[in-house]
Amino acid sequence: MKTNKIIISILLIICAVGLIIYSSGSQDGLDELLLRMDTQNLADSDAKMQKALGRVQESILENDRNKILRNLDRYTETFSQKLDLGGQNAADLFIYKNGPSANAISILIFAIGIAILLSAFDKNGRLKLPSVYFVLVVALYAGVYIAENTIGSNSMLMTVLKKGVIYALIAVSMNLLNGFTGLFSLGQAGFMLIGAYTYAIFTIPPASRAQVYQYYDGGLIQFAMPAVPAIVLAGIAAAFFAFLIGLPVLRLKSDYLAIATLGFAEIIRAIFQYDGLGPITNGSNLLRRFTTFNTALFPFIVAGVSIMLIALVINSTYGRSFKAIRDDEVAAEAMGINLFRHKQMSFVISSFFAGVGGALLAMYQTTVQASAFKASMTYEILLIVVIGGMGSITGSVMTSFLFVAASEWWLRFLDNDLIIGGFQVPLLRSGFRMVVFSIVIMIMVLFYRRGIMGDKEFTLKKLFAPRVKKGGKEHD
Amino acid sequence: MTNHELELKNITMQFGGVVAVDNLSMYVDSGEIVALIGPNGAGKTTAFNCVTGVYKPTNGQVLYRNSVIVSNHPQGKMAALYAGQDAGIYKETVEPTPDKITKLGLARTFQNIRLFKTQTVFENVLIATHLHRTSNLLTAALHLNYKEERKLRELALEMLRVVGLEDLKNEIATSLPYGKQRRLEIARALATKPKLLLLDEPAAGMNPQESDDLAQFIVSIKQKFNLSVFLIEHHMDLVMDISDRIYVIDFGKLIAHGTPGQIQDNPDVIAAYLGVDEQ
Ligand SMILES: Nc1ncnc2c1ncn2[C@@H]1O[C@H](COP(=O)(O)OP(=O)(O)OP(=O)(O)O)[C@@H](O)[C@H]1O
Ligand SMILES: [Mg+2]
Repeated sequence: MKTNKIIISILLIICAVGLIIYSSGSQDGLDELLLRMDTQNLADSDAKMQKALGRVQESILENDRNKILRNLDRYTETFSQKLDLGGQNAADLFIYKNGPSANAISILIFAIGIAILLSAFDKNGRLKLPSVYFVLVVALYAGVYIAENTIGSNSMLMTVLKKGVIYALIAVSMNLLNGFTGLFSLGQAGFMLIGAYTYAIFTIPPASRAQVYQYYDGGLIQFAMPAVPAIVLAGIAAAFFAFLIGLPVLRLKSDYLAIATLGFAEIIRAIFQYDGLGPITNGSNLLRRFTTFNTALFPFIVAGVSIMLIALVINSTYGRSFKAIRDDEVAAEAMGINLFRHKQMSFVISSFFAGVGGALLAMYQTTVQASAFKASMTYEILLIVVIGGMGSITGSVMTSFLFVAASEWWLRFLDNDLIIGGFQVPLLRSGFRMVVFSIVIMIMVLFYRRGIMGDKEFTLKKLFAPRVKKGGKEHD
Repeated sequence: MTNHELELKNITMQFGGVVAVDNLSMYVDSGEIVALIGPNGAGKTTAFNCVTGVYKPTNGQVLYRNSVIVSNHPQGKMAALYAGQDAGIYKETVEPTPDKITKLGLARTFQNIRLFKTQTVFENVLIATHLHRTSNLLTAALHLNYKEERKLRELALEMLRVVGLEDLKNEIATSLPYGKQRRLEIARALATKPKLLLLDEPAAGMNPQESDDLAQFIVSIKQKFNLSVFLIEHHMDLVMDISDRIYVIDFGKLIAHGTPGQIQDNPDVIAAYLGVDEQ
């Protein structure tokens, strides 16, 4: 049994490595492949074909994979009669198109191989739960990567996935404070704004600053940071503000936090639009041209790692104290838990990740403007947290994707006029989406007051655990 | 200087115009079980809250092992309103938060049970081990403190064993019957590794049999963990049975102090409990 497993896992790993080598062999040679397809140099004589080929080559120079694929398809389909699309060329073309998917799949196979190998060395020969989660996470990321490279990164699905994962991080960060620590804060949009601006300000390349800060002589700051340190800085900036607000407010009764944070979010929005700070914030003008991400894997990895860190905090002895404070402040204090310290910790961590989420949102939108970070943004996040379940990380994550999908995609049709057989369907008109959306949410809040998940987590263990009937004896 | 484990000096707690505890002075010696009794609303819980940092007394001092842990005198608005005595004698102001008092080694239970309601029996006790941690947020989050974590879990389990709730450790705390919830509160207090245990009506809602068991239990944990016990209780059998000394208060004022034998025959105490008008 053990040797079988080892052999299988080694075969899987070899298979995965082979697949990567095989598919990477012909990935860079697209120029060469184009030459090989055009055996008779037709492109030189045929003007139309020359133009189509030119477009492909141009997009290769731009290094925009989506564009390359689009132009390549047009070129090979339009001139399929004239090109040599058989044999090796067909195989290479296929691999060029599906190389990323093949890589993703081979990494998944690799992960499965490792998981089986680990189970072979386990005492009871069992597949351990962490290995299963590991494989599932790899599968998720592979799936996102494949979708991006086949459906295209501008598709509705990818939009929802990218925005969804960013909202998931922000919702989980809010849940840490509101759901796990029982502190009601309404400052999420403010902390996101600080994160988004900090990130944007520090990653605009100096060459573009004259254009972006055109009304402020190119602005004050004349250097740029790499993306990842800038994201961390965005978190730190938001955390710093939370620290300052917390100093006076967290010693008071918890209601004051809601008022203080709501006020803070409004004030910070005004301050960032203030003309006097223009050389730094660009006043009420857009910030743009900062570093963005070119693959959905980026927000997935940053948000994924962040959510995991929050989950780790919640499952530590500090997280237990947060929950104790939520359940009963007086008892928590009597157990030796310093209320102020622990509330401050939770508030600062929550705001740090709201800042990181703000930075990711800036990258996703490619532009930032302070006026967009309104209180309604906070309410949106709060809604996700409440519907997902106060005190449930998995609830917040799932609801974020559902919420973004519903508001950006599934309910869009409600805003458009629909005519079936000359009959205009009534009610469907711009704005109707909002009405339906609000009603759905009202029903949710009225009848599922504790949200989809309550304070429970969705875990594999629960999914596969044998269901034990409560109270009653088992009949056989 | 006398070597009391805990000493209250002239503790007065005034809410607005109401003097809930009036010039209460008392002490608990090491290894003793001392009871504080009195009719409903006499100010017993309020006295506990003054010791544990929940309230800051209007006037007076609390000493733990001869060092001042709480101290106050009428200040601000209270300076004019103050209806008690000895307003000027404690110049210091020491007002720690309850967690600091707990860290010193004083742990308490609550009259109106205060368990962490969404947590299991085990988690309730585990939370009380948080103050023993040496890990910081980072090492705890990254599970680099797994050795310490294992120790804390063992400690929590040990305390559940002591109070006999080990089998119920995965139940939600508030789903337990009343008597067991009270025992869980004691387990939780013990998990902070106290030297002095303050119990606020631990036998409330129990029948005579349960109350009897509890009395034996209190004596046994006192010996096992080398504790001193400061007890508020209405079940007179229990109080008379296990107390070394008893303080009686009525309307916030100390009316009697002595051994169980002395208290039982004290006419003032009988009058206070029977509500006899002394005039
Ligand atoms: N926070 C408060 N604000 C105002 N009055 C208070 C407060 N806490 C207690 N009191 C008053 O102080 C008095 C003593 O209350 P306390 O709870 O200490 O009595 P007790 O001796 O514990 O009574 P019981 O046996 O019913 O528990 C009562 O009159 C009560 O109304
Ligand atoms: Mg009381």
